[in-house]
Amino acid sequence: MIFKTRLEGDALKGFETELDALRLEVLNDIGERDAKHIRKMRHIVQASAIVGRSSLMFGFGPISWVAGVIGLSLAKILENMEVGHNVMHGQYDWMNDPSLNSQTYEWDIVCDGDHWRHSHNVEHHNHTNILGLDHDFGYGMLRLTESQKWTPSTLLQPLWYFLLAINFQWGVAVHDIKIGRFVKGRMKYAEFRERVSPFLKKAGLQLFKDYVLFPALAFWQWPRVLLGNLIANLIRNIWTNAIIFCGHFTEDVQTYTRKEVENETRGQWYLRQIQGSSNLEGGRWFHLLTGHLSHQIEHHLFPDLPAPRYAEIAPRVKDICARYGVNYNTGGFWKQYAGVLVRIVKHAWPTRQRLLTNASAT
Amino acid sequence: MFTVIHGQDMNKPQAKPKTRHSGVRQFLRHPLWAPLNQRSAWDRLATAVNPLWSLIEARARVEKIVDEAPGVKSLWLKTNARFKGFVPGQHVLLELEINGARHARCFSFSNASDKDGLIRITIKQKANGPVSAAAHALRVGQIVRLSQAQGSFAPRSSDGKLLMLSAGSGVTPLMSLLQAMKNENSSRDVVILHCGRTQADIIFSDELQSLAAQSANLRVHLHATENGGRVNADIISTLVPDWKTRETLLCGPDGFMQGIEKMFADAGRSDYLQSESFGRRAAPIDPNAAEHAITHGNAEQVFTVQAGQSLLDGAEAAGLQPRFGCRRGICRTCQCKKLSGTVTNLLTGQVSGPGEELIQLCISTPQSALELAL
Repeated sequence: MIFKTRLEGDALKGFETELDALRLEVLNDIGERDAKHIRKMRHIVQASAIVGRSSLMFGFGPISWVAGVIGLSLAKILENMEVGHNVMHGQYDWMNDPSLNSQTYEWDIVCDGDHWRHSHNVEHHNHTNILGLDHDFGYGMLRLTESQKWTPSTLLQPLWYFLLAINFQWGVAVHDIKIGRFVKGRMKYAEFRERVSPFLKKAGLQLFKDYVLFPALAFWQWPRVLLGNLIANLIRNIWTNAIIFCGHFTEDVQTYTRKEVENETRGQWYLRQIQGSSNLEGGRWFHLLTGHLSHQIEHHLFPDLPAPRYAEIAPRVKDICARYGVNYNTGGFWKQYAGVLVRIVKHAWPTRQRLLTNASAT
Repeated sequence: MFTVIHGQDMNKPQAKPKTRHSGVRQFLRHPLWAPLNQRSAWDRLATAVNPLWSLIEARARVEKIVDEAPGVKSLWLKTNARFKGFVPGQHVLLELEINGARHARCFSFSNASDKDGLIRITIKQKANGPVSAAAHALRVGQIVRLSQAQGSFAPRSSDGKLLMLSAGSGVTPLMSLLQAMKNENSSRDVVILHCGRTQADIIFSDELQSLAAQSANLRVHLHATENGGRVNADIISTLVPDWKTRETLLCGPDGFMQGIEKMFADAGRSDYLQSESFGRRAAPIDPNAAEHAITHGNAEQVFTVQAGQSLLDGAEAAGLQPRFGCRRGICRTCQCKKLSGTVTNLLTGQVSGPGEELIQLCISTPQSALELAL
């Protein structure tokens, strides 16, 4: 087991200064190359969507169907991860391109853009892994640390997790409505209705597109289009879920209490972002398909730097961590994902809460 | 003419007159049909084939580049179908990409009409002007983005005597108006007094003289300030004794225009003077000021922010409620458009430019008076 590192005094200040300097260095270098990258990604998304959807609609036989599913899945995954998620973080706002503006971008998923901007950019990135404040920690469904409350239904959480994984876009979509709060009577119906309506609108449009409009345009071929779209959405759901869970719920990821983060400095915030995140190792296309969330640590340190930069600065972040004795949590996909599954199964049982001792100050 | 621009959104759709097709159009543009009716997606396909075939943006191809004077170039641009034309005296936002980022600046048209699909804009290279530098680096065949034509700089009366006063590249809208008058065989009595630093610096001197040679009603005075001194009331009174009877159009650098505006105000003739300046001028940086005035909204409301205080804190202290999220510069909820003025990023210490750009209120502190679109 790896314990949480806490830095103090000069070490903390030095750690903060080094990371600030790294961010500034990249900021000063941003330009043409990053603009080209995001435009290229958007072109790949559009091309694979056109190829994927048309081979589903107008193709014959199983091979074109599989090709169609692959094309459409690729389009959805890249659009959600490398384009949508990153654009909505403001990574490309400096381009002054209204079609790549963080505040107006809308993505190909049932989750409304404004809901995402709030639950993800504001709540999750600000309060990363603070129990009770970061609603992404366990998504209000899963118990992933001893400090979370255990109920008998937690025993079934591997099943809940499976259901969440295959329906992940819906989990993300209803996340910012805060249904739990309404159910517990802590939200008035009027507010609830106001929060639900953007979700219903966006979900309606997405369902219509994938399950009515495109199947209908294929006439008698509608079943293969309908099924293909369903499978493509499913592949995207499972993939994004696995990547995102690997980002924060692997075995050695730390959690924080509200008390711990009182009067937190920026250096401590950086520390929490690093110790609350974990990376995945892989090749260039693997990183692209994860939207560079495989560099979750770098992304959480600097959420508004263009994502391909994360891969470039990763060795230096790792070096800074090594020098300050901070665990840099990284590994291959299967190792990290196995850690996630272990965590889900382990805490399905009523694991006892460890007492916070000075042992954590190793 | 070349100035920082303010408060204009190039991509804002123009208000369309209601036609009887509007119901059908509304139906076709309904988000239900997305992505099939997504104009941005079709636009990307069309512009991939031919960059001028944009469905959304007014664009143009550089057809010809002419050196007008040292550091001054005219661009002849072939516009696409999205560009809706202009009337003489108007200006346009020219948008160029510099190191991946789009930057737009205002330039007056310097020809009379785009009947042949060609517009001309004349650009003087500025010392610290990245956009004018990029414009000067353009090559024939390259593509630029344009806004629609804007502004209404033209004589208010349809007859009566005119006086035109210009300095430097301020002659451009006047050139456009003069050419239009010539095309219409106007019999208006016009005097233009146009200056530059040296004879060689005077933009369009040949063109103006050739116009004067063709028209008995046009008098042209070209004035080199190096020899004749800066244009002042005396010079104008000597060259154009009847200036007080003429409707006057003025365009040029700030200092030049302020001098002339004062002269007209002193003579009680301000009502007969029209000046062209592209929007408001950015306030100067003042690092020693204890607080800065922040103008926001359409009603020109003002609040003050202490030096070193974030704009978000300052706005809230003034009783405003801007949108905000993390308050540490990561979520962009409080991002807003700065129209003019200079800010420092509290996280990085970077100092912004003076013009229009997106800033985050929670990590920006003013270095000068600002205008925000809150």
